[in-house]
Amino acid sequence: MSVAPHTTSAAPAAKSKSRVLPLALFTAVLLGIPLVVKDSFFIHSCIVVLFFAYMATSWNFVCGYVGQLSIGHSMFAGAGGYATVLLFTQTGLSPWLGLPVGGLVAALLSVLVGYPTFRLKGPYFALTTIAFAEMIRIWVENTDTFLGIPLNGAAGITVPLLGQNVAAMQFNDKVPYYYIIATMLGGALLATWLLENAKLGFYLKAIRGDVDAAESLGISPSRYQLIALAISAFMTGMGGGFYAQFYRYVNAERLIGVDLSIDMALMSIIGGQGTIFGPLLGALLLAPLAEITRSHLGGSLLGLHIVVYGVILILAVLYLPKGLIDPLRRLAAKFNGRGTGR
Amino acid sequence: MTAPLLEVRNLSKTFGGLKAVSEVSFTMNKGEILALLGPNGAGKTTAFNMIAGFLQPTEGQILFEGRDITGGKPWDLCREGIARTFQLSRPFSDLTVLENLMVGGFARSSDIGLIRSRAAEIAEFLGMGRQIDIEVQHLTAFDRRKLELGRALSTRPTLLLMDEVVAGATPAEAQEMVALVRKIRDTGVSILIVEHVMKVIMALSERVIVMESGRLIADGKPHDVVAQPDVLKAYFGEQYVATRA
Repeated sequence: MSVAPHTTSAAPAAKSKSRVLPLALFTAVLLGIPLVVKDSFFIHSCIVVLFFAYMATSWNFVCGYVGQLSIGHSMFAGAGGYATVLLFTQTGLSPWLGLPVGGLVAALLSVLVGYPTFRLKGPYFALTTIAFAEMIRIWVENTDTFLGIPLNGAAGITVPLLGQNVAAMQFNDKVPYYYIIATMLGGALLATWLLENAKLGFYLKAIRGDVDAAESLGISPSRYQLIALAISAFMTGMGGGFYAQFYRYVNAERLIGVDLSIDMALMSIIGGQGTIFGPLLGALLLAPLAEITRSHLGGSLLGLHIVVYGVILILAVLYLPKGLIDPLRRLAAKFNGRGTGR
Repeated sequence: MTAPLLEVRNLSKTFGGLKAVSEVSFTMNKGEILALLGPNGAGKTTAFNMIAGFLQPTEGQILFEGRDITGGKPWDLCREGIARTFQLSRPFSDLTVLENLMVGGFARSSDIGLIRSRAAEIAEFLGMGRQIDIEVQHLTAFDRRKLELGRALSTRPTLLLMDEVVAGATPAEAQEMVALVRKIRDTGVSILIVEHVMKVIMALSERVIVMESGRLIADGKPHDVVAQPDVLKAYFGEQYVATRA
């Protein structure tokens, strides 16, 4: 099992009513921010927050629902990011297509990695995912060209600057990036919502609950875990592609390194894994915190944000093991007059 | 005569040097409640798990409705129409009663509305209609056992394999369970039960088979079988039979 226990949602029909208003409000605020605030640094920070929300939501798609702790998801971000950039620099393929293609590359990698690792449980699974991701990171860092593909080792790859160029997904202003990642986040949340109400979602929760019982109910655990992992890796790979376009730079340490994986997992767990909005909530809380500590204290107190993460994680596991979303859900249930049961 | 629902031929399982099940053969007819008896360590659960697809037989064949299902995976057997319960109930504890009863439905349908209404019907059938929105971790142990039974039914089986129906139940609960199992049989489901409690066997089954040390030693009507010296010896030891004789 993973770090924290899990929650699931109540009957979706009853729940959707309580969600419509806050959801509409959230969407309005999300889309309105760039119209109101013109400060470039603020928009940049918002993009980073949304990026992490997207990545955590992608992680949650498989790990939260199936109850396995992957700390190697950054390998899928790396696969997607590198694929997007290399397709652009080597073949001139537009990143608009490069992102989904990068996602497919990540999904393919996830099947290769997932097939052996999903047999493992708990800490063994977590450690194996770290090992795979670190192997790939170290390999990329030490490889200048592979089969003629210039990976450029530890230096990373820079996307050539073309100025304002929509086809190359390059913009002088940050606002278009904001709307791209906001749309991607919306897509990931929608995918999770569909999952909750689909066979795959029920199957993943059943596998999380008891593997033997799930098998006896017609579920092949390896098959459905791999399907979910491939979808999650696809989304994570597209996120890696976005990251590459936004910073116009990829390198192994930042995109494949274990830090990104930990961020994805922690934001989901603290926010509430196995729920639609938990990872988003976790990212909205933790990502700004990391940004602030990095930008204001980074020079003098390197890594302080990790200490803060740790403290929040301890508090969350002790007092809100189902994540920060849990009290909010109970509050919403109360408002709807449905008692405190769920 | 039509083909038997389940036919087990010379089924054997060895774990290293231990022969847990040795050349067991029996058949089971449609609509029957068949009980598999035997003292602890007789190989009942091993045989049960091989039929359910959770263990691979070392030798022998299992035919279901005439089809060879030997070595089939549990999820394939579920689609064939075989469902099982576990000795210790294993509900999905953070899902609601209704959600627990929905999971199995996807093996038969992809219409989630239909699956939900069928799950609600099963909850009614179990007498748990009012509890459908409760998370299973808040249920009593007995309700969880009933739910486990309902969850197996949600896959619409023709053959239900039950491992220890009344373990840990109070006499009143055991009675309720017996009534429930009969009700399930009346819907046309055939049932193979592994059970220790004699009273339950006597109340439920038309036929019992008895295993001892991996071998099948008796097959017949409950009252006849429990009077057989071999069976008494297996349960109570040599001396008991001697003093009775």
